[in-house]
Amino acid sequence: MTPVVRCEDLSKRFGGIVVADRINLQLDRGQIVGLIGPNGAGKTSLFNLICGVVQPDAGHVYVGSRRVEKLKVYRHAQLGLARTWQHVRLFNSLTVMDNLLIAPRNYLGESLLNLIFGAKRLSAANREALDRASALLERVGLTHKAAAHASELSYGQQKLLGIARALMNDGDCLLLDEPMAGVEGRTYDRIKEVVRTEAKQGKAICVIEHNVAFVRDICDRAVFMFNGSIMASGSVDALMSDRRLTDLYFGTGRGR
Amino acid sequence: MEYVYTILILSCVNVILASGFNLILGYGGLVSIAHPIFYAIGGYVSALVSMKLGVPPIFALVIGTMVAAVASIGLSLPSLRISGDYLVIASIGFQLGLVHILNNLELTGQAGGLSNIPSIIEVPGRALVFSLIMIAIAGLCVLVIRKLVNGDFGRAIIAMRDDEEAFSALGRNPIRLKVVIFAVGSGMAGFAGSLYAHFFLYLTPDDFGIFTSAALLTMVVVGGAATTWGPVVGAVLLTVLPEAIKFLDLPVSIMAPLQGVIFTLLVIFFLYARPQGLLGGARRGGGLEVWASRSAYRGPEGGET
Repeated sequence: MTPVVRCEDLSKRFGGIVVADRINLQLDRGQIVGLIGPNGAGKTSLFNLICGVVQPDAGHVYVGSRRVEKLKVYRHAQLGLARTWQHVRLFNSLTVMDNLLIAPRNYLGESLLNLIFGAKRLSAANREALDRASALLERVGLTHKAAAHASELSYGQQKLLGIARALMNDGDCLLLDEPMAGVEGRTYDRIKEVVRTEAKQGKAICVIEHNVAFVRDICDRAVFMFNGSIMASGSVDALMSDRRLTDLYFGTGRGR
Repeated sequence: MEYVYTILILSCVNVILASGFNLILGYGGLVSIAHPIFYAIGGYVSALVSMKLGVPPIFALVIGTMVAAVASIGLSLPSLRISGDYLVIASIGFQLGLVHILNNLELTGQAGGLSNIPSIIEVPGRALVFSLIMIAIAGLCVLVIRKLVNGDFGRAIIAMRDDEEAFSALGRNPIRLKVVIFAVGSGMAGFAGSLYAHFFLYLTPDDFGIFTSAALLTMVVVGGAATTWGPVVGAVLLTVLPEAIKFLDLPVSIMAPLQGVIFTLLVIFFLYARPQGLLGGARRGGGLEVWASRSAYRGPEGGET
């Protein structure tokens, strides 16, 4: 089976800083991959490379069998790559509901031509988007906040909305950038449940996370990054018990 | 009475200009100084095709509008690929450059401008009739923009303004959206310019200078950026106010700079005391507010490697 997303020898440097050094990574249907490593290891940059926010210097990104590294960010999303951001980045002037309604993979309302000539298709698409958004709000427990502005939500609720927004894209891949940072209790459980369900339904998921318990709990395998390279990959427990990696992570080793 | 009609018509022209500018600046969060350029393009093109080619003014109007809308792509396409602050600079260049061209081109009558432009209507009570038409047209323009920014399209504009990168990562195309916003707003400015030309029957480059940029900016900011009626209130207020000052009977040496001083003070006052403008709600940011907060925000995501 073709992997949902595959990176092949992906490299990128900003001036002297290497953020990706011949990265090979594969995300498969139904699997959750944890991306771990200290701050500055290049985890978020890898996400940016995969979803097209940053263009690689060398190497390829495949979505299905299609090469996408030259495509624009929005084309990646239209091919089914959805992501969340470490700093959530909701649309604060819009309501919770509107934050979701803007997020389907294809949004006819962004084209004036569709607005003028495609009224029928548009209203059908809108109805479908509304149904999906309502169902997602229900799932993340924000139905009662639908009409509130995104900026009025608590941090945990914003995280949930960020994930729901990414899920409006009904594609096959979900990239989650620190979904659990600053989150606890009920919200924690809810995010865990949502991510698990999505994997069960066949999405390929990659999670950047510092919360070891979460990674251990939910990931099928983990990838350890350091200085733009993948140092190791395997089961979470194997990586966690590798003294060499924990030294890199906590900076406790005797030099590098 | 003629004087009142003139003020009324000018107010309507400014309502169209400010509303279109609000679409770009307020809703789109795209800070451009070059709005008067498209006003000028509409006016000059429409005047010239009717004078030199004998096109009836009503069709010249359509041509002027289209040319302004298309010309906006010349500004938007190259400058929208770079981030917000550069657009301001590019637009200032565009603005100053085009006025310079108007001042020197033989075709546009140089500094003296164009006169004897064919009138769009020839009826008894021309000013009154034209006033009524202008009120209807201005109202229509305001409603078109309101329709645009409230539906699916408006949701996209506002989301893009709030966070362009997050917006594109959802599968939306921000460049196309910006080009369209610019074309609609600038087309409206061109329309206003054509109407102006075929009513007042003369044009000079002075009508489209950087002072007009400042006036339009003031109208939108004072009235309330990213609101439907804010630019309308701002436009009427800032058309009537300078006229009212004329009744103060001050010497010209004071009068002329006084207008600039008042506009400037108004903007500074509003940015301090009521950044959302007269009609702006508490939450819906837009215009300069967005620009300011975005400049401050830029960073964390880009900084993380």
